[in-house]
Amino acid sequence: MKIARARPERFGGIVEVESPRALLHVDRQMMRELGYSDSPLWQLPPEGPLSAPREVHVVLSRRCAAGCRGCYVDATPSGAALPFEDACRILDELAAMGVFHVALGGGEALELDYLFAVAAHARRVGITPNLTTSGLGLDAAAAEKCRVFGQINVSVDGVGAAYAAARGFDGFRHAERALRLLRAVKREVGVNCVVSRSSFPRVPEVARLVRKLRLNELELLRFKPVGRGARLDEELTPAQCRNLWPMARRLVWRERIRVKLDCSFAPMVFWHRPSAKAAAFFGVQGCVGGDVLAAVQPEGAFTGCSFTARPAADARIPGAMAEAWRSGFSEFRDYAAHAPEPCASCEYLRLCNGGCRAVGTPDPGCPRVQEHRSRLPLPVVAG
Amino acid sequence: MKLFRRGRVLQATFGCNPNSSSLGVDVTFLLFGAAFASALAVVLGALLRREAR
Repeated sequence: MKIARARPERFGGIVEVESPRALLHVDRQMMRELGYSDSPLWQLPPEGPLSAPREVHVVLSRRCAAGCRGCYVDATPSGAALPFEDACRILDELAAMGVFHVALGGGEALELDYLFAVAAHARRVGITPNLTTSGLGLDAAAAEKCRVFGQINVSVDGVGAAYAAARGFDGFRHAERALRLLRAVKREVGVNCVVSRSSFPRVPEVARLVRKLRLNELELLRFKPVGRGARLDEELTPAQCRNLWPMARRLVWRERIRVKLDCSFAPMVFWHRPSAKAAAFFGVQGCVGGDVLAAVQPEGAFTGCSFTARPAADARIPGAMAEAWRSGFSEFRDYAAHAPEPCASCEYLRLCNGGCRAVGTPDPGCPRVQEHRSRLPLPVVAG
Repeated sequence: MKLFRRGRVLQATFGCNPNSSSLGVDVTFLLFGAAFASALAVVLGALLRREAR
């Protein structure tokens, strides 16, 4: 185990280790044992927001030729892009704040001729760059350059015809080819699969693909009604919301692959009452916007996550992100303290934080919220 | 006599997240449950201390 770096937090600190690649939250005593001196943060109560995000999604552009029908950033072939110089300055600032990872995406980040230069800059300042791509246009030479990234996931929302049905164009062959090219040069290659109402039944086919290509993870992402997705009626049905966790478990056992769910699925997992202790230890959380996670949009907006449009600052202004982090994001951070029912009485509230802000508050996809609403009396309509 | 309390690992997340949304649930690890989490915390703590020496 090799410690790459660490930063102090109220509770102690966060330690990044390289092998196995992990972020460990440790208490104050452990920080001392590791040789770190006492931090002024340790004078504060241990509970509270992190001193900086652990990871930041940098949306490099809204530029993409694919035109997926549910694109959440509404990407077009001539969409806005974050200039190279701005991207590097922002990475410098994120590094100074202590951010560990950035997720580079778009749009299609591979369409930017400076993508690899941005990733190399992230490495230089001590941040691990990760990438999500559709894989369109990726050739062997580009795959070789992708060694600079930590984890790379290729978006595959279905296999064969299911891909075209989900995304609105037939790109499965390109995505599969990209996965093979990337897997030939590195191990940390996986699949992102957006789970929507119509793609839900065919997710196991994607899991089989992950196993067949010997990829290191399948990450299931919840369809969110954002961007062009707002015009689709693809949110999961109540039955699918309840069946999501059992399906994910089956995929792990049957295919022997690592399955991860994005933060927006957390309420659907907590409804099945997993061990709260294990959930806390493995960082199983719902909405972590403005705490663990933040985002930078191509136009420079610094937001709690990439699915929310409300900016806390202009990331291009020096010092603005650090200042906003200290005082902003109350809509994310204060939810648990003022949560309405049925969240207020939920034992997982501190972990779930009300579910995904991009779909509604409290999260309408949470089975507990659905049950609560079904018990409410119908409104009386005056005749 | 004051007992020396050893430092603890409070949380562990493995790998990197390349996505627009944060890693919410690592299904594979969560399936192992609380006992595994407790044991892993001890092992990781020991490995960290060994690294620090």
